[in-house]
Amino acid sequence: MMKRVILLTLLAAGLFSMTATAQDPAPVTREQLEEVKGALDGLNESFAEYRGFVDALRKIKISGYLQTQFRSTDLINAPWSIGNFSGGAFPVNAKNLFQVRRGRIKFNYDNTLTQFVIQADFINTGFSLKDAYAAVTDPWYRTFGVQAGVFDRPFGYEISLSSSNRETPERSRLFQTLFPGERDLGAKIIVVPQTGILTNLRLDIGLFNGVGPNANEVDNFKDLAGHLAYQIPFEEANAELDLGVSGYLGNVRSASRNIYAMADPGTGVKRFVVDSTATNLSMGVERTYIGFDAQLYLNVLPFGGTILRGEYVAGKQPGTLGSNASLQAAVTGDIAKRSFNGYYAYLVQNFGSHDQVVLKYDVLTPNTDVTVADFRTGTNLTVADIAFTTLGLGYIHYLDDNVKVVVYYELIANQKLDPSLLAVSSALFPYTSDVRDNVLTVRMQYKF
Amino acid sequence: MKTLAVALAAALTLQVTAGVAQEKITVKGSDTMVILAQRWAEKYMSKTSGVTIQVTGGGSGTGISALINGTTDICNASRPMKPSEREKLKVRYGSLGVEIKVARDGLSVYVHESSPITELSIAQLKAIYTGQITNWKDVGGRDERIIVYGRENNSGTYVYFKDNVLEGDDYTPSMQSMPGTAAVVNAVAKDKAGIGYGGAAYGRGIREIKVKRDAGSTAYPPNAETIKNGTYPISRFLYMYVKTRPAGAVKEYIDWILSDEGQRVVNEVGYFPVR
Repeated sequence: MMKRVILLTLLAAGLFSMTATAQDPAPVTREQLEEVKGALDGLNESFAEYRGFVDALRKIKISGYLQTQFRSTDLINAPWSIGNFSGGAFPVNAKNLFQVRRGRIKFNYDNTLTQFVIQADFINTGFSLKDAYAAVTDPWYRTFGVQAGVFDRPFGYEISLSSSNRETPERSRLFQTLFPGERDLGAKIIVVPQTGILTNLRLDIGLFNGVGPNANEVDNFKDLAGHLAYQIPFEEANAELDLGVSGYLGNVRSASRNIYAMADPGTGVKRFVVDSTATNLSMGVERTYIGFDAQLYLNVLPFGGTILRGEYVAGKQPGTLGSNASLQAAVTGDIAKRSFNGYYAYLVQNFGSHDQVVLKYDVLTPNTDVTVADFRTGTNLTVADIAFTTLGLGYIHYLDDNVKVVVYYELIANQKLDPSLLAVSSALFPYTSDVRDNVLTVRMQYKF
Repeated sequence: MKTLAVALAAALTLQVTAGVAQEKITVKGSDTMVILAQRWAEKYMSKTSGVTIQVTGGGSGTGISALINGTTDICNASRPMKPSEREKLKVRYGSLGVEIKVARDGLSVYVHESSPITELSIAQLKAIYTGQITNWKDVGGRDERIIVYGRENNSGTYVYFKDNVLEGDDYTPSMQSMPGTAAVVNAVAKDKAGIGYGGAAYGRGIREIKVKRDAGSTAYPPNAETIKNGTYPISRFLYMYVKTRPAGAVKEYIDWILSDEGQRVVNEVGYFPVR
């Protein structure tokens, strides 16, 4: 803008001078030239000042996205919760709804080697802080970095895949269970070698509070999380295989002397058995995961690129009898320990530049120690011990570089329990068949 | 019968329209390459009927963003795609993008034609462009303040110079950013204390200086021989990027660019062919 002003001024000065010459043939005096030069110097000074200001502003990058959607499910007021992993539980008396799922705005002050990032989420039910961190990269090798604040935990692939880029409306049940909110408070080291054979390697490893993004620390334990990724490009084939391995080593403080673990109390049927040793109070209950992820990018089909993604996680999860999700606040009741595993697989196929089809299958077995035969009348197993699979089918259309529309249907299936072992009045009885909980999501996203 | 005739006429009209339908190829990106890209497009359109090629500049970064957003078929870039850009392309399209080297360019350093400076080393250029040296007398010139001209940060030339001459350091805040290499040349041509950089194709009307790798090396001018044999220290490839393996009209166009005829245009514009 300023440049235009200068150019226009120069042009006007030129025209004025030409006009003046045409009307008055007297030569321009040295004084007049000095005057013009002085005026130009003044403009240049203002321009330099203005440019400094604009350059500083250029370092501030503002981005955001809004996801507004309509969701519908099979049943109204079901005795089981529907939609928990599909954008939130459906309210009482509603089996379809409009909602603003995410309304993100992100400010990033990018000073090349240092960064300040803050991201907030504004939705119809409230406001929450998502990211707030500072990052520094070493100025010598540009290989080592430190990041501190609230940000995605470095574990696996799906956590760090932005919701605005992900083809499915939500992350898999596995990751929503293990890392609700994805983020945590902590600090991590980033290693990204710039030269040599390790160029395609990236390591993120850090220490975190372990209670997620929405709570203050509740114990003296810090959790270690890390992800090591390696990219193997096949330039000739225009393909790439990315591999990753992740680990999580943490603890949850027990607020009581009662800790439940799976065992067979001598009846031939497994159930949670309580250990009430006095020293259990305040002790750390193990939270450990190991994960493997792979992404394959292929560009062999004539109509567009193909993406295949998969991830497997197994480990030990402290929850409660009624919940297998990671604890996000101080535990007040008894902890129940479970061994779990889960995985997901995606197939994304592009059709030209504007259309994609996605197929996703995910599985969570929250308690690997139980079988269908263990769910019977009198058990203390709950719905938190039932395995679920989700088959998702979706179509995505990119209207332009800002807007995309997603239509996604999730076929959610639970492990089917044995009706002959459960009383009809049992809360588990509905799970003797596949409960009606499929969800259709129609979403429009605006991103800038 | 009348209806049938109308329908047939309509179908025929549609077929005729389809028969002369123009295949449109959009090309966006590097300002350094904009003249080269326009010449290619003009020549190709004059010999190939049914193809319209629309060329716009904006800078390599802008072109790559357009490729990622799906708003251009071909991106011109005067620097290789960054890993972060490749990552975006990969996540969105499942493709790493296809890189095609279409020409070679020496990045010239210009001074005003009256300047006594004839050569500079990479270290001296770095010192000038990072603001450590601010007076021409420190590099053998007159006692006057150096006026530094460069490109805007969406330009591949800006990034290339920053990475390869400044070794990643920041440009001096006093650098005057110009919207295109032609603007840099014009500014330096009018400024006796000016220094600028840009593509060789724009280097007319000012004096290009020799550049040496370090103080003890021989200084070389940017010409066909030194750029091709790599002795001129600031030379680079010019690229075209497409999202996925090129097909149809885009493939035919790129094949022509790499043909003898297409590469002759490279020479005519002042760059250096890759084959």
